[in-house]
Amino acid sequence: MFTKRAATVALLATVALAGCSSSGGSTEGSTDAADAGACAPSGGNVTLQFTSWIPGIEDVVKLWNDKNPDIQVKVQTGPSGNAGTYQNLFNQLKAGNAPDLGQIEYDALPNFRVQDGLEDLAACKDVVAAKDKFVDWTWGQVTLGTDSSVYGVPQDSGPMALFYRSDLFKKNDIPVPTTWAEYKEAAKKIRALGGYITNFSQSDINQFAGFVWQAGGQWFANDGSDWTVDMTTGASKEVADYWQDLIAEDLVSTYPAWTDEWNNAYNSSKVWTWNSAVWGANSIASGAPDTSGKWSVALAPQWNAGDKAAGNWGGSSIAVLKGSKHLYESAKFALWLNTSDEALTALNKAANIYPATKAGLDLPVLKEGVEFYGGQPIYDVFAQASGEVNPDFVWGPTMTQTYADVSDGFKSAASGKGTLLEALTSGQQSTIDTMKAQSIPVKG
Amino acid sequence: MTATLTTPAPGRTGGRKRRTKVHHKGAIFAFVVPFGVLFAAFYLVPIGYAIVQSTLVVEREGTFGKATEVFGGLQQYALVFQNAPFWRSVGRVLLFGVVQVPVMLGLALLFALLLDSPLVKGKKFFRLAFFVPYAVPGVIAAIMWGFLFSPDLSPFTALTQNVHFLSADLVLWSIANVVTWVFVGYNMLIIYSSLLAIPTEVYEAARLDGASQARIAWSIKIPMVRPAIVLTAIFSIIGTLQLLAEPQVFRSFSSAVTSTFTPNMTVYATSSIPNFNLAAAFSVVLALATFVLSFTFLKFTQRKDAS
Repeated sequence: MFTKRAATVALLATVALAGCSSSGGSTEGSTDAADAGACAPSGGNVTLQFTSWIPGIEDVVKLWNDKNPDIQVKVQTGPSGNAGTYQNLFNQLKAGNAPDLGQIEYDALPNFRVQDGLEDLAACKDVVAAKDKFVDWTWGQVTLGTDSSVYGVPQDSGPMALFYRSDLFKKNDIPVPTTWAEYKEAAKKIRALGGYITNFSQSDINQFAGFVWQAGGQWFANDGSDWTVDMTTGASKEVADYWQDLIAEDLVSTYPAWTDEWNNAYNSSKVWTWNSAVWGANSIASGAPDTSGKWSVALAPQWNAGDKAAGNWGGSSIAVLKGSKHLYESAKFALWLNTSDEALTALNKAANIYPATKAGLDLPVLKEGVEFYGGQPIYDVFAQASGEVNPDFVWGPTMTQTYADVSDGFKSAASGKGTLLEALTSGQQSTIDTMKAQSIPVKG
Repeated sequence: MTATLTTPAPGRTGGRKRRTKVHHKGAIFAFVVPFGVLFAAFYLVPIGYAIVQSTLVVEREGTFGKATEVFGGLQQYALVFQNAPFWRSVGRVLLFGVVQVPVMLGLALLFALLLDSPLVKGKKFFRLAFFVPYAVPGVIAAIMWGFLFSPDLSPFTALTQNVHFLSADLVLWSIANVVTWVFVGYNMLIIYSSLLAIPTEVYEAARLDGASQARIAWSIKIPMVRPAIVLTAIFSIIGTLQLLAEPQVFRSFSSAVTSTFTPNMTVYATSSIPNFNLAAAFSVVLALATFVLSFTFLKFTQRKDAS
């Protein structure tokens, strides 16, 4: 009886293990089947696997499939990058069955690069030749600071601006803030009226990074041999202290972002502004449908009156994942998706995707007024912001972890335990620890 | 297999014993193979793979240097033992288990006894009603309760705006509430079926001796369903240590649920870095802890049996 029971326990305990290791089927990813330098047509019909989370991407891909019977693209959609798709891709890379193409945000490219998950597109002449088509800083993001490699084709950028409820500002005679100091003054007035100027997101650390980016800060640097991490001095500290004050004085709400509760706060006019990227235009329209026509977009508030600086939040590239046997076809599709007028127009209509190409910024669809924003041609604002984004922002090699750990700290800061700066301090330490645990050379 | 069965007894002289042995060998083999293959493929191999992964470390040169995995002994385990958030999460689920498991099993036992008592009407209805939450997938249950607890979207905002169920102080117990709601009926059913197996003569004898229903429940039923209670307790201990779905869902409702709230969430977060080697080490430690805890509980209850 005793041994039988013990065996049962042993069996049950194994459930813990089995659940965790199911991700790895086989050993290391298939080694360079499509070796670097081999960017040649495969010959015959090819089917490419493509993982993305853009709403409506299937319709855009259909445009391609209808015209290219020999290169068919199959789309697999999932949650946005940090919410699950990156983990899926990493698991697939480990198992050696990653899709050919993946949607990867700029901030995650170094992570995939460190894990050796990307094919170098420098072998594909068409990709290299396309360099000048793209907005300079987006190209910098996909080359990861090298001259000889290209790890993805830029798709879109996320210059940030201020979405605000023009009707409420006008009705209550509050001037639209142009500096962060004015923003705080407006916040006090709005709070007195029972609303909140904005919601401080504890989970969108990439938004916070966008604030730091705008303020001229820099979290990571790499000199080719070592990484450095600095999330707590200079602009980072200034931005953290600013938002900490707003939280401490109850001038901003702290709903968990991207939830129904958050949507509800915007939809019921409880929250008045959102400092977000161009693709956020779509998020408000779908999350707060009752406020249609009442929003406008202005350039982001500045740290010093008269400055012209914009942050960036998000923006993706289409990368070819390690092990793809169809480098040539993948690159061809990625270029079509991200440079052709046809695809860029469709992407914008489907999900307010804002092209990373210079020519794309002049697409007719980007000159039109947008109904949800009272007919304002909002992309004009973002075009200006796009030109004011600091081109040299560097992302670290473990951003999913950095975001998660800083977010844990931000969450407790939002509920009154600790501060944003403390969260950044511990996030910095855990980032360094995480890098060391994987032998990624880091100072500090 | 069939050959073994149809073959006439080979050695008449060999006696009955040997012949039946041969018969059993084939049958045992036939019955064990499907289980053995699946057990190996889905338990032993993954466990072995996880253990192997946990002994490897990554080496690389330069900021984007190619990674090579080399044998690193117990280095990953050293990192596990230094990882403060992980041990905090272990402490958290232990606290959770110490409170939630007795409450849940107490309720399950109470409901089972009520269903089994001759005084209650509508047994079939209640049996199903208590069990229905278990049929709701855990994730759906967590989402539903998340909305019920939400300060602004709950149908009971008068309550939820004053009692912050999703705050740092209460969220663990709100999750306990969800888990209890889901699993009470399941555990009740295990205990109840064990109650049904008690021979009625025992009750008759008790009644002849003048025992009341309460006395029968206390002195006969509960001692006789002890093995079922022990079983449900072990299931619950394992379930507690492996909490994942409910807190993961609650992350989007509550700011108080961190990415390392429970041990399994730490494993998940570590594998999304991705650091599969460290995640494997976490899993092995978690599995061992689960084993030790369940085993200790068994030893403890068995000692009581003996006395």
